[in-house]
Amino acid sequence: MKDNIVIVGGGIAGMEAARQLLKLGYNPIIVEKSDRLGGHVAQWHCLFPDMTPAKDVVSSLIEATGRANIFLNTEISFMNRLKDSYNIMLTNGVSVIAKVVLVTTGFSVFDAGKKEEYGYGVYDQVMTNSDLEHWFNDGNDDRIDGSEMNAIGFVHCVGSRDEKARNPQCSKVCCITAVKQAIEIKKRFPDAMVYCFYMDLRMFGKKYEDFYIAAQRDYGVRFIRGRVSEVSENIEGKVIVKAEDTLAGKPVKVTLDLLVLMAGMVCNPDCSTLAGMVSLQTDSDGFFKSRDNIADITSSSRDGIYYAGACTGPKTVPETLAEARSAALEIHSYINRL
Amino acid sequence: MTMENIFGFSISPSSTVNLDNVDLTLFNRLHELEPDAWKCMSCGSCTATCPAGNFSGMSLRKVLHALQRGKEKDAVKMLRCCMLCGKCSMVCPRGINTRHLILSICKLYKED
Amino acid sequence: MRERFLTGYNDFVLPFMIGMVFILTYCIIALIRIIGQLPKEDRRRFFISLITPKTLAKNIKDIFCDCLLHVKIWKRNKLLGYMHSSIAFGWFMLIVVGHIEVLLYTPHRAKLFYYPIFFRYFVAETETTMKGAVLFFLMDFFLLVVLSGIALAIIKRIRSKIFGMRRTTNPSFLDLVGLYSLWSIFPLRLLAEGFTADISGGSFLTKSLNYVFTSFLSDHANMLPSWWAYSCALGIFFCVLPFTRYMHIPSEILLIPLRNAGIKIRHARKGLAKAQVYSCPSCGLCIDACPMSVQKGNIKDTTVYLNRQIRRGNEVRIEEISDKCLLCGKCTAICPVGVEGDKLRIAQRSVRKYGLSPDYSSIDTASLAIDSRGKILYYAGCMTALTPSIRKAMESLLKKAGVEYELMDKDGGICCGRPMWMAGRFDQAKQMVEKNTGIIRNSGADTLLLSCPICYRIFKERYSLEGIRIVHHTEFIDSLISEGRLKIKRDPRKYVYHDPCELGRGSGIYEQPRNVLLRAGTLVEAAKNRKESICCGGSVGSLSLSFDKRKALTENALNNLTAASPDVIVTACPLCLSTFSRYADRKVEDIAETIDRNTSN
Repeated sequence: MKDNIVIVGGGIAGMEAARQLLKLGYNPIIVEKSDRLGGHVAQWHCLFPDMTPAKDVVSSLIEATGRANIFLNTEISFMNRLKDSYNIMLTNGVSVIAKVVLVTTGFSVFDAGKKEEYGYGVYDQVMTNSDLEHWFNDGNDDRIDGSEMNAIGFVHCVGSRDEKARNPQCSKVCCITAVKQAIEIKKRFPDAMVYCFYMDLRMFGKKYEDFYIAAQRDYGVRFIRGRVSEVSENIEGKVIVKAEDTLAGKPVKVTLDLLVLMAGMVCNPDCSTLAGMVSLQTDSDGFFKSRDNIADITSSSRDGIYYAGACTGPKTVPETLAEARSAALEIHSYINRL
Repeated sequence: MTMENIFGFSISPSSTVNLDNVDLTLFNRLHELEPDAWKCMSCGSCTATCPAGNFSGMSLRKVLHALQRGKEKDAVKMLRCCMLCGKCSMVCPRGINTRHLILSICKLYKED
Repeated sequence: MRERFLTGYNDFVLPFMIGMVFILTYCIIALIRIIGQLPKEDRRRFFISLITPKTLAKNIKDIFCDCLLHVKIWKRNKLLGYMHSSIAFGWFMLIVVGHIEVLLYTPHRAKLFYYPIFFRYFVAETETTMKGAVLFFLMDFFLLVVLSGIALAIIKRIRSKIFGMRRTTNPSFLDLVGLYSLWSIFPLRLLAEGFTADISGGSFLTKSLNYVFTSFLSDHANMLPSWWAYSCALGIFFCVLPFTRYMHIPSEILLIPLRNAGIKIRHARKGLAKAQVYSCPSCGLCIDACPMSVQKGNIKDTTVYLNRQIRRGNEVRIEEISDKCLLCGKCTAICPVGVEGDKLRIAQRSVRKYGLSPDYSSIDTASLAIDSRGKILYYAGCMTALTPSIRKAMESLLKKAGVEYELMDKDGGICCGRPMWMAGRFDQAKQMVEKNTGIIRNSGADTLLLSCPICYRIFKERYSLEGIRIVHHTEFIDSLISEGRLKIKRDPRKYVYHDPCELGRGSGIYEQPRNVLLRAGTLVEAAKNRKESICCGGSVGSLSLSFDKRKALTENALNNLTAASPDVIVTACPLCLSTFSRYADRKVEDIAETIDRNTSN
């Protein structure tokens, strides 16, 4: 009989791990709380830095995991440790005994409405990075369709690196996402002025810097080093953004037709529920705590429970996929050890 | 007669900040009073939201930065416009207790 | 009744007399000093109030209710109230009845200070004095009342929880001396009068005790030592009194007329401030009340400890304590003697020496000039710029009601001055007040609408804008609804209202927001509300409390608000709104948002 491996979360990390585990001859069981696979990535338009369509990545993963057991609209209702395995009860009534549980619960997008001063949900012309991806995908958003786009602004670090938003950590991907979205916007509205308001630009990945240079040189995106602190609305419904151009040492004010908030990655609230069931450790940022952040990032403090992807902290797509593969290998050697 | 009058323009001393010679005794005392004094990452939120900045160019970011670089005179002059309204403490992403910082600066530094 | 001694004197009265003379001298000197420290106009005001029948009557009533009956403490906790009033009122009655006895039986001794106190020692009962039985009964009765109070006080030391107090103060060494001498005065009096009761007469308490004593102690040899002990206890109590918390007894008698005369704190340590500091009975009610006390480390920063440190002159601690406070004013609201913890702290802050002083003379207000004749001038305030939902909802409501308005700080204005005032920098605050007054006066508006309670308070208290109606938006929405200009519909939500410190305790606005919310949905109340509402923790009042230290305060305030499990937390202050939304597990909104959602037209 093939060993069961329960994978909590059917995002790209869960699917990639399932694919590898299938190849290794296991029986992965994906438990996904929503009604579809692919998680956040399935909702994105295309991925930096090569503008790979997100749906290509997701659909190839879905194809590859066709043979796995997949439960949609299902969550873990409880889980307890047996001698060397876990007894897992699902909300659909199925109960599974598995030697290994792989946690791939991913992240949540910061609720931009919590940064009241940016007026998300208050002003008409303010949206988030996820809203913008939706618009790229389905081209349907009143905020963009209904108005002329002469000036568009991106606010970096919304709900990340912000103690007031209770997330002091960097969300890692928003800088490069903003560059990507700015370029995409500029492609759609070549005559619009596009501003990025940033505190620090963190272009850490392969080809990111090239992407940034292209945004500056080829697309004319204006980067302003200053964090937006106040947004107001004028009588025509346009938003007025106030920041300090810290490089010039002068306050700046600009009227925009659209303001995009780069909402950061925060821990999934399911983290704490799951952590409570089998007493897993979470970090001060709310994400799961790996056994070791350098040498053993996919292991938890409990035997038989593994992590992959953004459930341990903000990650890019390639990092997540690499971690999922590495977790699959760790699981394989763990089961052989038993 | 000063140099200024002779040449009709002022000869300012080198504008380089020589970190070797910066005297931070006073700033270190400030840091004791308000440990957040080294926490600023110069994002400019405080300046952008400052009501006094509207009228006077007051910038808490600049004040702190200048103090950290030993340029006390510039800093201290700017702080004279602060209304202590507390908006900067609301927006600071690093959670710096800006009002305490400002009052501590007012206490320690003197205008010449 | 006849006198037992021709001289009417015994050496044992000496400890009492020394104590009494000392305390009287001390109090008179202190009284003269405090009154001398008052500014001239305040002093005049005080003297005039003393001869004005209305304030005089109020003084007498307040002294009777507060110092003797402790009405305020009764309202808080019946047991605690009984404990205080039994000791104070019982003792007072013992003194009064003692004097009546002296006046009735030995009128020629009335000028002797000690005579009413030790009356029983100096007299013997004769047949003709049977009519004094009523007085004897009263004396024993009030002694019993006091003793019951002392018994409760001893229990309170051990278990303060049954008196509704989670935490009490740590007494200092001298406080303990005072405490034990106070506790021993009345049992010793009972003992002394018990030994003497067969000669002097007595009632149910002393007489019965006397029967018990005579059954195994035959002679009167124990009489004199017990009177000595009683006198010593009194003497010790009076001698340590000025250095203990019991100084509140004489101080309060001065504080009440000062307060009724309408005198305000004008100096950090002198005059009224001094009277308040010495009036603090160290009861510790402010410890439980203080929002900061959810964190153990802050307990020593409550008002009772501020008063103690001011009395000790510990400048370092005074500075720490006064800077840390959120100025929520709750200690002031619940203080049974009327110590104004918040104002006292602002006064301490005002004596700080600064090397730098802001100066706003260079600010040009021309760019802020606005014409709003016949319209409402809406000053949303600095904080509201960071919570645009409030301003947007308020503007929408004004439009719905057809109110014409102009924004005074559309693009940022001059701060109202209240935060500066709270920092104790009055001159700077006054400069801002002047600038804003100019702008408002020149605008020609007849109503000034405010959204921030911090602004509202200083506009009400320190601005002179006669002829201009100053309203907070809670009041304004309430009046728009009652005038029928806003049509409001109910929704099924359960709302709880948080009283912002500056709006509730600071400005006395409790009813209007509740009136408004009652029409919008179901209104539930927080565990502690109105005058006892708990500060959100975001206050600009605190100068030193850092951001990370405030979280626990906010969580505690939220627990208090959600006691009746409301769906929505409603507040009326931009600062409370943003502080609560950071940690709340449910929706937090401003009252303007609630009403905007529930009105159409």
